[in-house]
Parts: sequence; C-alpha cells; structure tokens
Amino acid sequence: MKQSDTSPIVLLDGITCRFGDVVANDNVKFDLIKGEIHALLGENGAGKSTLMSVLYGLYQPVAGEILVKGKRVNLKSPLDAIELGIAMVHQHFLLTLPHTVVENIIVGLKSKRRVFLDTRSAEEKIMELSKKYGLKVNPRAIVGNLSVGEQQRVEILKALYRDIDILILDEPTSMLTPQEEKSLFDTLQSMVAQGLSIIFITHKLQEVMAVSTRVTVLRNGKSLGTFRTSDTNESSLAQLMIGRTIIQHAEYSGRNKIGKVVLGIKNVSALNNSKILFLKDFSIELAGGEVLGIAGVDGNGQSELAEVISGLRKAINGQVIMDGHDITNQSPRSIRGSGLAYVPEDRMDTGLILEYSVAENLVLDRYSSEPYSGRLFLKYSDINKFAEKIIMDFDIRGVPGLNFPARSMSGGNLQKIVLGRELSRNPKVLIAHNPTRGLDIGATEYVHKQLLKQAANGVGVLLISLDLDEIFAISDRIAVLFEGKIMGIFDREHANIDEIGLLMGGKKDTVDSTKVQESDDK
Amino acid sequence: MTSLPIHNILLHKIKPRSIVPFLTGGLAFVVGGIILSSAGVDPIHAYQIMIKGAFGSVRALADTLVKTTSLLILGLAVSVAFKCKIWNIGAEGQLYFGALGGLLAGLSFIGAVPILAPIAVIIMGFVFGSLFSMVPAALKVKLGVNEVIVTVLLNFVALLFISYLLHGPLKAPGFLSYSPNIFPQSELPILLPNTRLSVGILIAAGSAIGVYLLMSKTKIGFEIRSVGANIKAARYVGMNVGKSILITMGISGGLAGVAGAILIAGVQHRLIEGISPGYGFIAVIVALLGKQSPVGVTIVAFFFSALLAGSEVMYRTLGVPVALAQTLQALVLVFVLIGELFLRWQPKWRKG
Repeated sequence: MKQSDTSPIVLLDGITCRFGDVVANDNVKFDLIKGEIHALLGENGAGKSTLMSVLYGLYQPVAGEILVKGKRVNLKSPLDAIELGIAMVHQHFLLTLPHTVVENIIVGLKSKRRVFLDTRSAEEKIMELSKKYGLKVNPRAIVGNLSVGEQQRVEILKALYRDIDILILDEPTSMLTPQEEKSLFDTLQSMVAQGLSIIFITHKLQEVMAVSTRVTVLRNGKSLGTFRTSDTNESSLAQLMIGRTIIQHAEYSGRNKIGKVVLGIKNVSALNNSKILFLKDFSIELAGGEVLGIAGVDGNGQSELAEVISGLRKAINGQVIMDGHDITNQSPRSIRGSGLAYVPEDRMDTGLILEYSVAENLVLDRYSSEPYSGRLFLKYSDINKFAEKIIMDFDIRGVPGLNFPARSMSGGNLQKIVLGRELSRNPKVLIAHNPTRGLDIGATEYVHKQLLKQAANGVGVLLISLDLDEIFAISDRIAVLFEGKIMGIFDREHANIDEIGLLMGGKKDTVDSTKVQESDDK
Repeated sequence: MTSLPIHNILLHKIKPRSIVPFLTGGLAFVVGGIILSSAGVDPIHAYQIMIKGAFGSVRALADTLVKTTSLLILGLAVSVAFKCKIWNIGAEGQLYFGALGGLLAGLSFIGAVPILAPIAVIIMGFVFGSLFSMVPAALKVKLGVNEVIVTVLLNFVALLFISYLLHGPLKAPGFLSYSPNIFPQSELPILLPNTRLSVGILIAAGSAIGVYLLMSKTKIGFEIRSVGANIKAARYVGMNVGKSILITMGISGGLAGVAGAILIAGVQHRLIEGISPGYGFIAVIVALLGKQSPVGVTIVAFFFSALLAGSEVMYRTLGVPVALAQTLQALVLVFVLIGELFLRWQPKWRKG
C-alpha cells in the first residue's frame, strides 16, 4: 500500500449550503480516512444530512470543494457519486416491497443477458458478499416480508453490489432493535476491516462511542471540530452537540399559579404503527397553568403519546384522566368535547385540509354545532363571520379570499390557522407537538407567546418538542422521553442541559436518580 | 364553497384547459373518420346521420335524454363516492338491485295505487341499491377491505342473481326470461307523447341539484368532502370517518338504485336481463371526466348519451358493423382521457 494511512479518501472543504435564507451548512470541513468509521454527530437540523447529500450529489453547495481519492470532483447527481464509489443508505429505505431481494439489488444495472434478468449470477454474487460481511439475507425473499433490520441489510448489499468503497449511513439505527443494532455494528467493523470507509450519521452518543474511529460534531450548520473517539467522552460531546450558549430563557418570566391536575396519564402503554410497543408504562401529570416540556430525540414515542391522549391511537393499557373524566380510548370528538385542544405535529398533513378555505379550516372541529350550522345545512355567513374574527385575533395574513384554498399560504400563517382554531376552543389541556417546526423566528415567537398566554389563563400546556431551545424557553417543568419512557422530570430552575442531553441519549447512570425521583413526586 | 356570481364563474371557472377535452374529442372523430372511410363509408355522411340520430328529431332527442337520465344519475352516484375517495365501481350492480327493488314495488299491492305507486318504486330502488352498497362499505369500515375489488365483483353477483330470478321465481309465463310487467299505475308519466322520455329526466335533474346542495351546503357533505380531501385531518378534528363512509356509500348506491328503478318504471316496465348496457361502468368515466361536479357530470352525461344514441342510429341506417360504432365511442374516450392525462402530468422531454 502506497497510500499512507492518514491521507483522506474524501475531503469536503469549506462547504456552504443555503436553502433560501437558511444556511444549512456554513463553511464545513470534513475528511474521511480510508478504513475508518467516521461519525457525524448533531441534533435534528444541525446540517448532517445536508452535508452528506452534498457528497452524494443530491445538493450542489454554493461554496467549497469536494475531493474524492485526491481528485477534485463536481457531483451533479447521485449517479456521479456512485461512479466514484460512493453510496448512501437513507434513513427511509428506497426499496420496492413486492419485489425479491435480488430484484431490488440489481434494479437499474445492465444485465449480461440483455432483455432477460440475470438473477442467477446476481444471486451468487449476493451470497458471496453476504458471507464476506456477515449480512445474512435470503436473496429470493420478498422484501416486504423482511424485518426492518433485514431490509437495511438489503440496502447495504445494494451498495456493496455496485463495488463501492465509501458508504454513507444516515441514522441507520433509528428503526432497529438492540439486537439488530449489534449485528449492524459487527457488519460495519468487518466492512472497514476489508478496506471500506464509512460515514455514520447519528445523534446518539452511545453509538458514536460504540462504533466510530473519529467523530465530527455539527451544530447549526457549523462544524465544531473533529476528534478521535478515544480522546473524547459522551458528556463533552453532548455539550458540543447541544451548546450551552444559546439558551437565554428570554421568554421565561417565572411560574404561573399552578392549579389542580388537569391531565393525568397513568401507566399507559401503546403500540406504534408497526405494532411495536412504543409507549411503555408511561405516567405523567400536568397541572393547569403550567407548561410541561417533553424533550427527546425524534421517534422515542412523542407521536404515540400525543395520539393516545387525543384518542387517535388506542392505549393497550393504563388510564388517561382529563379534568376528572376518564378519557382513555374515547373518540377524538368526545375527548375534544371534554376540553382538549391539540396542535398536531404536521399542519399540512394532519392539522389542515389544504384544499379548504381558511374559514372552512377554522370550523373543521365545530361545523356541526350552532351557530355554524342548523340541522342539515352549514351557515356560511356565520362561518365567515367567525373566520373574520379569528383572522383578526390571530393576525393571520395572506388569506387568499374566503372561498379559496388555504394551500398557497406560508407555514407561519397556516400554523396560525391551526392555533386560531384550537385555542378558540377555550381548552383545559393543550397539546402542542413541534408547534414551531419549519417556522421563521417571528412566527416562532408568536407561537410561544400564544402558548404562554394559554398557561397564564390556567390551561395545562403539554409541549412536545424536538427543539431543546424551545423546551427551555417556555417550559415550567421538563421531562425527558427516551424509548417510550420518562427518564426524568426536572423543575426548570434545576434543569441542567448536560444532564438532559445525556438522558435524551438514553444515558441514565450519571444522573443522581434520587433527585429525579423527588421532582417526579411533586 | 359558496356559489359565485356569474361573472366570477366566467372569469375563474372557464380556463383554457377546460377546452382541451372538446379538442381531443374532436380529434377522435377525425381518426374515427379515417377508420370509417377505410370501411367504405363516407365519414361526413356517417357523422351527419349520427348527429341527426342524436338531435335530429323530437324522437331522437328524446332517446338521447332517456339515456342521459341513466348516465346522469349514475354519474352523480359515482361522483359522491369519489368525492370521499371511495372507489365505487359497483354502480352497475347497485343499479340492478335498485331495478329489482323498483320491480317488487311495482308488482306489489302498492304498485296499483295511483300517484303513490311511482314514488314507491323510486324509493324502493333507492333502498335496494343502498342496502346492496352496504356490503362493500361495511367490509371497508370494519375490516379495511379494499372497496374496488368488492364492488367490481359484486357486479357479477348482482347480474347473476337477477338472471337467476328471471329464469325462476320472477319469470313471467312464456318462453322469454322476462319478469311480469309492473302495474300501469306504477309507470312514470311520459313527458313527450310517442316517445320514451318520462319524468325520469326531471328526477335526474333534481338529483343533480340535490347532490350539489348535499355536497356544498350540508354538514354531511362537508364531512364527506373532508374525509375525501384529508382523512387524517378528518379523524384528527373528531369526525366519525367510518360513519361518513357508510353514509357516502349509502347515497351512492341509493342513487344507482334510483337509476335502475327509473329503467323499470320509465322505460321497460319490467325487468329484463341486460336492462342496463353497462351504464354503471360508463358512469365511472362520466364522473371522472365531469370532475365529480354536478354541472360537469350533467354535461358529460348528455354528451355521452348523444354519442351512444347517435352511433346506434348510424349503424342501423348505414349497415356498418356495431363494432364500428363502438370503436368510435371508445376512440372519444381514449382521446379525452389522454388529453386529461397530459394536462395533469405534463411530461418534460429530455434533450439528447
């Protein structure tokens, strides 16, 4: 081997990537050395996936250069990247479920037998690769029948089949069981032992420590440096990843008078869409007048929690009590009737009907009662009157006329429609799930003010958010959710961002468990 | 959606793209003309006969309107379901069950009561069509079974069941497999003497207005549209999605049943096999081309009926094969659909 061990096989230098006014990557430097596993660590939205999409040819940077195997390259599409031996396994797999493993792997490649598929020799090569790297999978199996872990193996085999030597894995463990995770890590080790180089995108500290040789930390699109994994530790990485400087608690103006408990969740368990237990014996209490922030990394049971409370998902055991009524597994309409308002995670997908006008969206939950309708007919004049009031009260702008679809409006104004509808219900409990996702600073501030106003009026606000800054900015108490369980609940004054960062990554042993217990009991 | 003043309709509703179906439809007649002349028929002459056959006389126009009655009601039936994103392909079967319901009413004691009898026939048509559509609706709501498969297959069930009845329990004396005639009191009054145009066409027009009011102005319509536009949002705001699906299918199947009952009370006065020449399937096309709006469906239903009536006259007068007339119908369909397709997915041709 002439190539010295330290010369990078990939070098990204000064990469800057912009989407409109948002800078996703700001002058980022990143290098990958042959035969290493390089972890790319950062929170949601830190710019990890963007950076790797640049290397995979999906985005073109506005500045910076890319060197692969010592040569300057210009990547216009993933085809260019694959040509250079780079492959990417996305977080959400790109497989056709009704087809077999072989068919998925050879799709898009030229067959030696012209119009006929050359499945036999492909099968042989797949078996060979699967033996070499310990990727057990039956080439003739239908992909739709495979487990998530097996499907991921198919994705990796698909990459290896194309003779690549640089593999990018985007959050590869996000949907794996611990056993599958272990077997993936073994595979990765055997792959680097054979000379491959791997980039591993993650936000989980444990994984960085378990599998990587080096680690680069990204925050707000900037690189905070590259470290040898053996020279660093989880808590210093957590500090870097989350950052302590940005939390100013600007909007937090002290506690409201806390009222009685308005929402009690007792030992609730629920399954996710793939019938896997995702909320495990979950208990929490929310009082009127407080904002309770639920912090956690995406996919740890946040959606399931919100849906169980609102009646969209069945609890398989446990109890949900709202304002003294048992609302466990009641219909969404009756739970709303008992005093729930709910700002859902995805305003475009769930919160609104984009084909409908602003007015129709504003009455989606109350169209069937007086004064918005009589026994049979809707009363559009009253609906429009109500809409005009809410549009004024919530300062909804860019309304394309009362009879035109809301689709064309901006994210912030769409969210104001949802807020206008939900908050005008005069709720007792308000669930806000990622209420500021994708909003600009002005709109974010507006949403926060509205949530705080609700709390001041005695509403119990449950803020489920992936954005730690947001949680710290407006919560009275902070609970950390990890794998469907509460890892700890803190009063805001006693909350420590490092500790919360560790808990979000599933690290509990460094936290004084007695303290957690105390605040839990309050 | 509230109604817009006329000038707004002119400004906003008539877009250049709504002309496209007419252009592509016209193109179909050009291609059809080539086929006709290759079969040794003068296409201009053939089309003249066709137009005459559809609109040329009171009789011809009446015949077109009789067909419009069926296609309009069925097109509305399918549209209501499609608005809720329920793909009801079973209008044909629901029509046959509605025809059966109408027949039973017309044969029973109530069928002899003047004035009340035709009303009873229509109501029974609705009830039978509606009940038959509850099979796919309940399977979809309770077990999540795909309604396309169920409705398509139930068409065969309905047709074969009717066939069994006409060869057995409901067979009139004689050689042919017809049912007995309904009481004359059950027949729908004829609007134009010496034609088959009955008040059925008024029922069809009333249905169009009714569907418009239902979908645009009522709470139920709002729910149906919400479930169709965004089922997740509908569930989230607390609408009872299962109930909406059942109601939608009940209305859809009921309307198809009314179309069947009108064929009994207004046209045939008895049940025969093949009482509908596939109207329930053409209705799917009518609903799609009419964009599920009552106005659009009315226009498309009338146009298709004229095409059907005109081409029938053409093949009888000119002695061209039936297949040729049907080819023309198919051509119009294919051309209009292709035009729609290109409007929706404008392909980008790559250079080089």
